[in-house]
Amino acid sequence: MNIRRLTWLALCAVLASPSLAAEAPPEPKESNWRLGAALGYGNRSNPLVQSDDIPIIVDLDIAWFGEHWFFDNGDIGFTFADNAAITASAVARFNSDRVFFGRTDTRFIDIGLDGAQLPVAVSFKPPDRDYAIELGLEMLAGGAWGQLQLSAFHDVSGTHEGFEIYANYGYGWRRQRLYIEPSFGVSYKSADLNNYYWGITAEEAGIVAPPYEADAGFNWHTRVMIGYQLNKRWALSLVAEYERLNDEAAASPIVEEDDVLGWFAGLSYRFGR
Amino acid sequence: MKRLLPLAALFLALTPSAQADDMSLTVKPLLCITDNRNPVCEMSFLVVWETRERGYYCLFNDYGEAPVRCWNEERRGETTDERTVQESFGFWMTGTDTTARLAEVSVEVLRLDSDDRRRKRRTRHVWDIN
Repeated sequence: MNIRRLTWLALCAVLASPSLAAEAPPEPKESNWRLGAALGYGNRSNPLVQSDDIPIIVDLDIAWFGEHWFFDNGDIGFTFADNAAITASAVARFNSDRVFFGRTDTRFIDIGLDGAQLPVAVSFKPPDRDYAIELGLEMLAGGAWGQLQLSAFHDVSGTHEGFEIYANYGYGWRRQRLYIEPSFGVSYKSADLNNYYWGITAEEAGIVAPPYEADAGFNWHTRVMIGYQLNKRWALSLVAEYERLNDEAAASPIVEEDDVLGWFAGLSYRFGR
Repeated sequence: MKRLLPLAALFLALTPSAQADDMSLTVKPLLCITDNRNPVCEMSFLVVWETRERGYYCLFNDYGEAPVRCWNEERRGETTDERTVQESFGFWMTGTDTTARLAEVSVEVLRLDSDDRRRKRRTRHVWDIN
């Protein structure tokens, strides 16, 4: 074996050896899971007549993100494009408008539509609505300029048979432990979607509530999130959100308020950090 | 047997582990938070140590083999250490035996942004409790 061959072999051995590990160690891989819980107090107003607000005591955050598939607090997605500009996914979810209809009350009403006293009080409860399973496309973009989320969802469960187009923009500021992120956005609700949740069919109508057909409309919302990191796992969180219902929904006889105000303040814990 | 007890106590008192019991080391701040816009922390650490026995003590950190500072015939000391931080690391105190750590403290780096945009997607789950 001549010197040149030995040198060549030694060079190969060096290149193939674990000494490559002498380079800067790679950053630890981010866990696929995101698990957290927040305990505190909050409230979301309910725009329906004869309804209760939605209290928020505990908020769980359960999410899993794989290379393509992900689960994010009830949403299931498949990411088919992820590059420097955008992340695009197909997502299945439950419609969120249904949440208000789970907290309505039955009451006896003795005033008719014309404002006159009814001879006998009649019981009235806002009509119930079902959850809809929706399938859609979601596009995320982000950078130093903020985060943009665009999505379009269509009912695939035969519940409302409508669609929603949604856009949200947020920008976060961090100063060490303190984080503030205002965001705002708009969503277009199709006539079918709007009418299913906020309309009143002829069968549902009565002395108290007339039939009502809702057309398409735009909701808009704004939100501010403030977080203060106490240590690696604990943080104080404060979130407030205002959503203005579209005029078609707001004009429904079963709607009392044309907006939804929500807030939550609490202590949050993130597992696995 | 009774004679052996004071000897054992003296031996324990002279060993580094006994010193470790009464060495206190505090570092402020203990947390550095980074994100995509601020990938490093420019920090000034205030390090304070105290022990019962006067002696020769040195402060080390993970950034170098040499001590940050040493004190002679002291039982308390403080110093500031200016650093650009992007990974978790530790400060520790030693006596004359620099291989024996008398007290140590970790400074944690918490990276709060992810390269995965999906982790920033807005869901309405926080309001959807029914």
